[in-house]
Amino acid sequence: MKELSKQDLLHLYRSLIRTRKFDQLNVRLAAEGKLLTFYHSAHGHEAVGVGASSLARDDDYLFIHHRGHGLPYSIPRGIDPKSCVAEHMGRATGWGGGITGFHAVDKEKGVLSSAGTIGSGFVLSAGYGLAAKKNGRGQIAFCFSGDGGVQRGQFHEAMNLCAAWKLPVVFVVENNGMAWFTPNCDTTAVEHVADLAKAYQVPGEIVDGMDVLAVYRATEKAVERARKGEGPSLIECKTFRYRPHSEGRPDVSHYEPRSKEEIASWMERDPVRLFEEKLLKKKVLTAALIEEIAREADEESAAAEKFSFDSPFPDPARLPDMVYAP
Amino acid sequence: MKELMYWNAISEAIAEEMARDEKVFVIGENVQESPFLATKGLVQQFGPERVMDAPLSELAIAGATVGAAMAGYRPVCDLTFADFIYCAADEVLMKAAQQYFIHNGEVGVPCVFLGVAGGGFGNGPEHSRIPAAMVMHNPGLKLAMPSNPYDAKGLMKAAIRDNNPVCFFFHKKCMPMKQAIPDEEYVIPLGQAEVKRSGTDVTVVATSYMVNLALEAAKQLEGKLSVEVIDPRTLVPLDMETIVASVKKTNRVVIIDEDTECCGVAAEIAQQINEQAFDYLDAPVSRLCAANSPIAGAAMEKYVIPQLPQVIKAIETAAGI
Ligand SMILES: Cc1ncc(C[n+]2csc(CCOP(=O)(O)OP(=O)(O)O)c2C)c(N)n1
Repeated sequence: MKELSKQDLLHLYRSLIRTRKFDQLNVRLAAEGKLLTFYHSAHGHEAVGVGASSLARDDDYLFIHHRGHGLPYSIPRGIDPKSCVAEHMGRATGWGGGITGFHAVDKEKGVLSSAGTIGSGFVLSAGYGLAAKKNGRGQIAFCFSGDGGVQRGQFHEAMNLCAAWKLPVVFVVENNGMAWFTPNCDTTAVEHVADLAKAYQVPGEIVDGMDVLAVYRATEKAVERARKGEGPSLIECKTFRYRPHSEGRPDVSHYEPRSKEEIASWMERDPVRLFEEKLLKKKVLTAALIEEIAREADEESAAAEKFSFDSPFPDPARLPDMVYAP
Repeated sequence: MKELMYWNAISEAIAEEMARDEKVFVIGENVQESPFLATKGLVQQFGPERVMDAPLSELAIAGATVGAAMAGYRPVCDLTFADFIYCAADEVLMKAAQQYFIHNGEVGVPCVFLGVAGGGFGNGPEHSRIPAAMVMHNPGLKLAMPSNPYDAKGLMKAAIRDNNPVCFFFHKKCMPMKQAIPDEEYVIPLGQAEVKRSGTDVTVVATSYMVNLALEAAKQLEGKLSVEVIDPRTLVPLDMETIVASVKKTNRVVIIDEDTECCGVAAEIAQQINEQAFDYLDAPVSRLCAANSPIAGAAMEKYVIPQLPQVIKAIETAAGI
């Protein structure tokens, strides 16, 4: 485990802030009716995607979870988040050329898809892992999901296959205890997703998903294992979503409002603030630097909004050519 | 009479059937709050034992539906998006559809697979389908696609009472519709088309939300063309008698359907018209469907799914003007 440099720590911090600002932008644009599709906020989940995907190489593969529609997994890796905003506004400059609705794709950095039907990520990631293993260049696949997603059969089929064939896949589960309106304690008898991994002889580790460094460290181990050819791992990050499942929907558990106390208690462990306090104590951050980073992120997201607005819509004449590869 | 929204007509039908028959229950993801509202309010009336928020497991939900149905219950299985029928495909297409046959006609599978279908939200290829032709292509499944609140209520009641698995696709774009619903109970038998508007120049057979576009088009064409609009309401069983009678009168027909064109609903209806009314046709049967493409998202959706101007044009073309 290498010591994280000041620069590494600031990269994580900056990524958290940018993720949050862009998430807030998408939330506002959704409320203003300017997104031409739905949006699932990552508010509360930022540390998981940022912490884990920071460890991905440019030639790795990465299957995103739907929280933030790709933002937490793209920003730390240098993918320009304005292409996320533009895609949601249906513009040709979006990362899917403005034809996908909400799907996140980035061929250059191995973001090969995101699932409309939850669960595909597990099995597609097995395929990315298979390709990575065949390539023999030490590439790996990252697969992000929620705790609801692991209730689909594909999770179990993928675990089994990846373990049997020692595929280089790192599964990161963002366990926020909910799947849409339904609390998972009422739909599974298994409290910890990590225990499911163990059933398939896959190492499963539980970490604090509000602590970006804890996520980073756990992922580091899993990544090392995968790159060495020792097979898959699963990291279960305990986290919380601060907003409704998707924008404009009621915020309920079953059919009653979610507990305000529960939300408030998780708010006290805001992943961005926790890390900020830590870095302030370590003197990596100063009040002035915090302000500067926030201002830069504000400027960047304002520019992204304008860029998206000013971008043209796709040319519909292209659509028929998108159906079959030549 | 009272006015009911589209979704509320569906939930009222389910509530009436749950009150009438204790074997009826609702199972699916998030059915207690119900993101598309079709099962909203039921848990308050019937409790969580009969309105079951299930795991995120389409195969388990659909399979449990089939199993419970074979064991004597009448589950209403909510798939959320109709697209997710693909996630549940084994249990719906292979099991629900075929168990009656496999049991030598002795064990039925009375259940409903509910799904919100179609475009309108710009959500792209995995949340915008209306997989009607696929259901039609699997013998053993019935298929209802109501185009308004009145039909939604009557068809849902028939679907729950039916002794077969019935796919019930309600359309996102019909959600804002409101209609007068009688206080007295009514059931609309599966397999009865309705002439939604009579006319003499051209027949439009339209499905689901497309019925509403066809009616709007017919209104705009008033004075120029007399358009007859037929809503089959259920595609399995399909009421060809009503369609053929209309074609014999107008001698011209266009079929308008939101599912993908290739091997689609319109192709099937067209062929049956050819078989049953060829001598009455003044022009080939024509069709307007979704393009043979994934449903594009955001602003591109309208280039894949038929919109009002194309509907008007298709009717004019079919009428020979
Ligand atoms: C196969 C499938 N079933 C259902 C859905 C609808 N859906 C979208 S997100 C979601 C909940 C996902 O829960 P989880 O995996 O825990 O992630 P979270 O949203 O809580 O972050 C559901 C049920 C879907 N998109 N795909």
